[in-house]
Amino acid sequence: MRPSRGLPLGIRVALYTIVLGLFLSGAPRVSYAQAPSELPKSWNDSVARLADEVAAAMSPTVVKLDVENISSLDVSSAGAIEAAVRVQLQRHSFSFAAEDSAAAQSVARLQLSLSESAAEYVWVVQIINDQSDGAVAPVMIVAAPKADFADAAAGARTLSLEKRFVCKQAERFLDFALWKDATSGEVTLLVLGTNRLTTYKPAGSQWQLSRTSPIPQAAPPSRDPQGTINLAEGKITVKGFACVGDPDLGEGVRCSASKPIRSLGGPRIDIPGFPNSLGTDVKGSCRGDFVFLFTAEGDRTQSDSIRGRLTKGIPLPLVPSGNSLEFDGPVMALHPDPADGSARAVVHNLKTGEYEAYIVTATCGN
Amino acid sequence: MGASLASLDPAGAGSSPEEVAALAQIGPLVFEHWGAVDTPVGAAGSGAFRVTSWEAGKRAVFAANEEFREGRPFVDSIEIVMGRAAHERLVDLELSKTDLTEIAPQDARRAAEQGVRVSASQPDELLALVFVEHDAPRTSGSIASGNAAGRAGGRASGRPLAPAKEEVMGQALSLAIDRVAIVNFILQKTGEPAGGLLPQWSSGTAFLFPAAAPSAADLEHAKELSKEIAAAGPLVLGYDSADPLEQSVAERIVVNAKEAGMSVRAQAIPGAGGGAEKSRSAALQAGHVDMELVRWRMTSPLPGEALMDFLSRIYAGPLAGIEAGALPETASPEDNYKQQRAVLSTYRVVPLVWLPQVYGLSARVRDWKAPVPGENWPLADVWLDTETPTGVQ
Repeated sequence: MRPSRGLPLGIRVALYTIVLGLFLSGAPRVSYAQAPSELPKSWNDSVARLADEVAAAMSPTVVKLDVENISSLDVSSAGAIEAAVRVQLQRHSFSFAAEDSAAAQSVARLQLSLSESAAEYVWVVQIINDQSDGAVAPVMIVAAPKADFADAAAGARTLSLEKRFVCKQAERFLDFALWKDATSGEVTLLVLGTNRLTTYKPAGSQWQLSRTSPIPQAAPPSRDPQGTINLAEGKITVKGFACVGDPDLGEGVRCSASKPIRSLGGPRIDIPGFPNSLGTDVKGSCRGDFVFLFTAEGDRTQSDSIRGRLTKGIPLPLVPSGNSLEFDGPVMALHPDPADGSARAVVHNLKTGEYEAYIVTATCGN
Repeated sequence: MGASLASLDPAGAGSSPEEVAALAQIGPLVFEHWGAVDTPVGAAGSGAFRVTSWEAGKRAVFAANEEFREGRPFVDSIEIVMGRAAHERLVDLELSKTDLTEIAPQDARRAAEQGVRVSASQPDELLALVFVEHDAPRTSGSIASGNAAGRAGGRASGRPLAPAKEEVMGQALSLAIDRVAIVNFILQKTGEPAGGLLPQWSSGTAFLFPAAAPSAADLEHAKELSKEIAAAGPLVLGYDSADPLEQSVAERIVVNAKEAGMSVRAQAIPGAGGGAEKSRSAALQAGHVDMELVRWRMTSPLPGEALMDFLSRIYAGPLAGIEAGALPETASPEDNYKQQRAVLSTYRVVPLVWLPQVYGLSARVRDWKAPVPGENWPLADVWLDTETPTGVQ
């Protein structure tokens, strides 16, 4: 599901951490030149062939490359292909006019269309010549197999996602957590609603209500309430308030007004290759890559899914990996669990109208 | 439990394209397989169903074959009622007298608005305008030349039209015809404008063949082209008299042509029934027709195979006598694109719209999946949910 406003804080923090980490470690700034290695070999070959054909059709010059994705490729894959095409064209001595420069208005235009047929991806470059007097624009076409972007290399380790249903209720909730008492070993289910924290104890195969602790609401109430349970720190965060256990989260909470979290950056930026959906990083790595979970890019009226993505950091894209988990409604919240490679998902089931809690686990394997 | 289909006419005469297509589904029901060239494989009765009753032109009943090697069908029997008009079929569906029927694309939206449960395939049938081939002597040309030079076919109406003029006329019509309006108004948005010989979902390159509504510049260009042709009476556009969709489109083309300064007359061709596989050259010859509307269904979802089939029709029809460019066995998207470009540059084939196959289903039909080109109706896989109250959904 698309986030209602900008990127979730967790993702932004994770991204900035990655960026910061790379800079602090003295890693050189990565240019487009490294992007092609992100693509499967067969796709790289297709991109190279496309650039060869463009170079055969026109002399190297300054060009403006417009890209349109009319295929089922996701944003990050399309971004990776565009980056690869740019690199290949640069190898043929083409250069690119800055997007908003005056020069961009007068240079030759290349239209890259990422399309697909019933059998394969079809990538097309048209050389657009405004003075061509209606003639058909020269067209270069290559095909690329519809192999999974990340799994094209045989034997590659991929993410495997599993979901475990925890509970459901008619009323919306923002987060949940399973808290295990270190001494007694007893498990408690915490469900964070918009205005209360409810605890449940196991009773056979059901959860039995144990305690309800009110949480003050910000005024005016938010149309997009958000909140998280942080078991490691024993606290809860909801918009405008921070609550701590009294004496622990299972026994009640004590809340106080919290200062707004200061944004780490300036204005929101669109990051090419970054899915415009709800996502979170999860603990662990897969073939040395950072692991992220992202929902699909639908809205709150549609079914949804969660899929794992891998990235080496910068440059993006986040490469899809492994299976998708399907849900009968939008994923309303996705929180990482710092203890292991899992995340907590709150799903609004459109068929039943209920809100459901799932634990999503990502494991890396062949 | 039984299922019933509606409105088929095995006699063929006067059948609508939807009826003919439905009839073609009977063969694969009773034979083990249905060959690529419409020939049965295996003995009758070796298929998913066996014929238990047949009243020509009225009714047929098929029973599930308990020993079908791919497993017994879920339904016990299928009853096919023939000779029902399109509106009667819809009424049958609404009254729960039938479970499945084909719906003409132009009726799909209205049926859905009336509460009919509608299932539509990807658009896989091309409605196109083609110039009619006549039996006049000609010299062989080559498609590689990019035009129809070398053709010497005269106009059927007896007023010879030079090949070059025919090409200009085709180009002018291609510019002037408002494909978007045909889709929006005649087809009620059930379909897609067609600029190429393959749909986008199959080829991935249909966007390279624009099919937008004509701009003012397009119309101006069409007018200039039409002025180049010495007027020798109206061009005659033939359409299948049993096909109301073709009639509506033909009448629309007449209007579009007039806007571009061309005179075109629409003429119904009787006895042309046969839907996608029309063979009406005799009627066309006798009717002094210059152009005709054709409906060609894809035989495969794969672009190379579908294009190969279309090219065989084109080089046996509007481009007969012209040497076809070789299409490799495993054609690349670029090969397919170039072949289409070569054919369309002759302007003897003018794609108009892509049509889906539309089906009406009763509320209790389960596991129905609109077949892709080359597939048969999945009648052995369908089951009926008797828990679901019958009636209009």
